[in-house]
Amino acid sequence: MNSISEQIIEALGIMLLGMGLVFVFLTVLILGVKLVAYKFAPQPIGHKALAENSDTASAQGVDPLMVAVITSAIHQYRAKA
Amino acid sequence: MEGLIAFWSESGIANFTPGQLLMMGVGALLLYLSIVRGFEPLLLLPIGFGAILANIPNGGFTEEGGLLYFAYHVGIETGVFPLLIFMGVGAMTDFGALIANPKMLLLGAAAQFGIFSTLIGAIALNFVPGFEFSMQDAGAIAIIGGADGPTAIFLASKLAPDLLGAIAVAAYSYMALVPLIQPPIMKLLTTESERQIKMEQLREVSKKEKIIFPLMVLGLTILFLPAATPLVGMFCLGNLMRESGVVDRLSNTAQNELINIVTIFLGLAVGSKLSADKFLQLETLGILLLGAVAFAIGTATGVLMAKLMCKLSGGKINPLIGAAGVSAVPMAARVVNKVGLESNQHNFLLMHAMGPNVAGVLGSAVAAGVLIAVLG
Repeated sequence: MNSISEQIIEALGIMLLGMGLVFVFLTVLILGVKLVAYKFAPQPIGHKALAENSDTASAQGVDPLMVAVITSAIHQYRAKA
Repeated sequence: MEGLIAFWSESGIANFTPGQLLMMGVGALLLYLSIVRGFEPLLLLPIGFGAILANIPNGGFTEEGGLLYFAYHVGIETGVFPLLIFMGVGAMTDFGALIANPKMLLLGAAAQFGIFSTLIGAIALNFVPGFEFSMQDAGAIAIIGGADGPTAIFLASKLAPDLLGAIAVAAYSYMALVPLIQPPIMKLLTTESERQIKMEQLREVSKKEKIIFPLMVLGLTILFLPAATPLVGMFCLGNLMRESGVVDRLSNTAQNELINIVTIFLGLAVGSKLSADKFLQLETLGILLLGAVAFAIGTATGVLMAKLMCKLSGGKINPLIGAAGVSAVPMAARVVNKVGLESNQHNFLLMHAMGPNVAGVLGSAVAAGVLIAVLG
């Protein structure tokens, strides 16, 4: 019985050591990931959304064919009604 | 007439022992669970069939020179099969959700408490007459709480080869039972309003970050925990093949053909350990029990850690995702998603739960490394 108690205390030690190591390891990894993100993360969203907006705006401006198609569709619809 | 008698004495009917019949029944049960119930069929089917093959009287599959003997000897005794599987899993894993929100690693760490508390539980079970688990046995049993099949097999083959069959079966059975075991624990530990918390959308992650991540994990393992490098190293190799984008052929092979081939032989070899004389023991019952406890405690501590992080972050983290901190990729994350949807039909937690889920894989590999370093 005594030896089992001793083993339990040993297991308790392994538990503290193990959980400690797992936490330390993964915490260091968090810091690492943050460091890499600081350096290599993609550009912030605001900047990108702005670029996308200007893209779509210019696309709208240069497609006369689409404008013609929609105009004719509206004309046809009104003629029917 | 003499020929007939010789034939009879070699037949299965004349040579069956009750234990073998019972183990064939266990094999048949595993086949039933995988085919009819769809529980982890990729592994339980070959394991179940292996169990039947291993218990054929005069079959000789598991004796020296038999197929299962070699599959076990070459693949599991050496630890090669679980490592190849780990490479495939690495090639299948997308760390994007984790890199976008690295704090989730803490959840993967907290859920490993199930492993270490079971270590004590296994030793404490020695108070019950009939159980004699050594510290190595206890370590191998405890890893079931990591809910990671390959890690459990790898560790068991290193620390307690005799218990490997029972440990592998317990690990994979509980992984299959994730949708049944986890939700009651998750609901018990969280309030309705906590379960409804919506989380912010994750940021985008650049390719460079994804390439650097496996290299960084490997670097840290080399520095702090060389004992975990077999597992973590193969995992990172698979992941780097995936994310680098220059070896798509290798990455595809690792996550498809190779992992499939290895899975067949791994399943058969584990099944071969389900022979009557090794499996039908009181210890097996203890292992099954301890495995379930380990798994439940891991889930609970994951959720509790997530609750703590929820409080500290001012209610931005849904505590349910903590349950995904036990590995069992991607099943645990899906369960989190499902429980979340039950509380709020528009709350999709899947991507958020993938972070702690893959963190759990790393966490249990690290925990396995610690156990090997201390007990091996």
